[in-house]
Amino acid sequence: MTKLTRRSMLGAMGAAAAASAFSAIPAWAADRSIRHFWWGNPERDKRTFAVIDVFQKANPAIEVSGETIGWGDYWTKMATQTAGRNMADLVQMDYRFLFEYVRRGALLPLDEHIGKSLMIADFDQGPLEGGKVDGKLYALNIGSNSQVMVHNTRVFQEAGIDADLINWTWDDFAKACETITAKTNGAVKGSDDLSLMIETFESWVRQNGREFYDADGKVTATVDDVASYWQFWADLREKGAVRDADKTVILDPPIAESGIAVGDTAMSHYWSNQLVGIQAVAKDKIGAAMVPHKAGGKPGQFIKPSMFMSLSRDAKDTDAAMAYMNAWVNDPETTAILGLERGIPCSPKVRAALAPNLTEVEKMSVDYFEAIQSRVGPLPLPAPKGAGEVRDAFMRVGTDVVLGNAQAADAATAFIEEAQSIVERAQ
Amino acid sequence: MRRFFARNAPAYVFLLPWLIGFFLLALGPILASLYLSFTRYDMVNVPEWVGLDNYVYMFTRDRRFWKALDVTFTYVALAVPARLIMALGVAMLLDKGLRTIGLYRAIFYLPSLLGASIAIAILWRQLFAADGVVNQIMATFGIQGASWITNPNTSLYTLVILAMWQFGSPMLIFLAGLRGIPRDLYEAAEIDGTPRWRQFTRITLPLLAPVIFFNLVLQTIDAFKTFSSAFIISNGTGAPADSLLFYTVYLFNEAFKFFRMGYASALAWVLLIIIAVFTAVAFFTSKYWVHYENERD
Repeated sequence: MTKLTRRSMLGAMGAAAAASAFSAIPAWAADRSIRHFWWGNPERDKRTFAVIDVFQKANPAIEVSGETIGWGDYWTKMATQTAGRNMADLVQMDYRFLFEYVRRGALLPLDEHIGKSLMIADFDQGPLEGGKVDGKLYALNIGSNSQVMVHNTRVFQEAGIDADLINWTWDDFAKACETITAKTNGAVKGSDDLSLMIETFESWVRQNGREFYDADGKVTATVDDVASYWQFWADLREKGAVRDADKTVILDPPIAESGIAVGDTAMSHYWSNQLVGIQAVAKDKIGAAMVPHKAGGKPGQFIKPSMFMSLSRDAKDTDAAMAYMNAWVNDPETTAILGLERGIPCSPKVRAALAPNLTEVEKMSVDYFEAIQSRVGPLPLPAPKGAGEVRDAFMRVGTDVVLGNAQAADAATAFIEEAQSIVERAQ
Repeated sequence: MRRFFARNAPAYVFLLPWLIGFFLLALGPILASLYLSFTRYDMVNVPEWVGLDNYVYMFTRDRRFWKALDVTFTYVALAVPARLIMALGVAMLLDKGLRTIGLYRAIFYLPSLLGASIAIAILWRQLFAADGVVNQIMATFGIQGASWITNPNTSLYTLVILAMWQFGSPMLIFLAGLRGIPRDLYEAAEIDGTPRWRQFTRITLPLLAPVIFFNLVLQTIDAFKTFSSAFIISNGTGAPADSLLFYTVYLFNEAFKFFRMGYASALAWVLLIIIAVFTAVAFFTSKYWVHYENERD
């Protein structure tokens, strides 16, 4: 027989009190809650949390919690949450990873909500297409962007560069680099060295009339493509017309460390939705140029969805999640806060509403977008599994070329072999 | 039996938190990773049994695996002796019976406490960058520095220096060992006119052997497992050109960047075996060079 002691009695009372307290919690917390997870930067986080506040005010019954982290750690955290069946209800998605996550069954299609809780009938169809996998919409475009050669307008003017920055060629680019370096006595190099920038290299391959990957996900870029690309930059490096190798081999540096921000180069490569962020850290006024073209070549650059919002498999309250998603692309107050920070919105109504209030740099990015329309190629197929690893390999093998430890041609052979085996293994 | 429990029950109750922790948080995952190492597992779909495929691929086709071994072994071979020599040297300096020894011990131990931290790794990256402090100091002596961290030929050595600087915990153990050596041995040696160096090789080293052995095993295991500093300094990728591709960094990338949990588990088990072999070799050879005071030979 158990003896009732003073201590056990107190314990039981404490437990009872605790239990009653817990049951009381839902009475003053919101009944419904959703989580939104995105990769960000300080500016984007500020705007997104402001949007959450707006939604919260309009829908007091739904509690939204925002989670954010930098791009580098985002995919690690996402993979861990996916494995643990604990994904946020709404996740920010990237074109590069979309197929991978759909194939793993981590995302839900949005088709059944269109016209009911997701109003996107009047949106541009082209940018929406990018979010489809096997004919179903798995990811809602929340902004489009394209590559851009950001340049320092003051240095360009002082060096007397008068090339047509939308239609220019790689030759024009190389000449501009040399002129700028010479005119400034090397204080400002012509450009960042883009040897390790696979995004620019992908344009280079397309200009040669090929895609990096074919429809089956095989590597179709050739050794010649890689060798000629690395050689192009090696020649500029030899002339001292691009940034020092020491700085080039620092991979994926933050915007504030790029040549255009530090002021030691006149050009850097970025995505057009980053223009606002770069202007914020650059001393001089920046301008937007296209990735140079190959004389007589095909269009290399393309317009792509910069970010998507997707509904995850682990979403519990899909109605609440869809209401939030719909507000993101339609609600005037919300879209005004978001502006162009995530890219150009694909709703014509939203664009028209934003137009009168654009800042100078935002206006430049819209103008740039208009100007490149006729010079870009079609959106490439989404990259196959393993594409992220191929990107790493490109930077790793390229580092040896940049540091002069390997010849462009030899390294190109090694890279293509490695890329092929990475993709093969990832399937 | 009942008596056994009656007598030991309190001990087991006190051990319970640790036992639960071990069985739930350590043993379970350890066994799971052994199973996973024979599968292909992308963290989302169900693991698929592939037998020895992961191990076969590792040893026959994976060039980065060998590169990771190369980097890690080079590091262990350089960092462990460097740290132990540093630790012993400082311990002998502190063994002179200074009055403020407590303070010095704390100061010298500090880097070891900070060593595993992210902040120190970032600091290190700044120190050895192209325009970092190291080069600025060298420039005042008219020496043109290099970019130590971004050059594949020198990047690993910056980490060896970092390891050397974190000599605190072996130093404390050496210090305790030195305190245990009877002073009269040195006095006798002094009277016989034995030079300092011979005192060191004939008295200090032999009597310190068990402590050296203990530190050697611990530091070797520690060095094989080096992760956070390499991860931060190489931006998580082993860059530049895989010169900082430590085994654990490679393992982390395979697991959490490329979602090959099965393969990463196999890598983890190979590392475990490597460490076990090294420890076993150390123990086996120890009987030839380590003598314990209570032994008779």
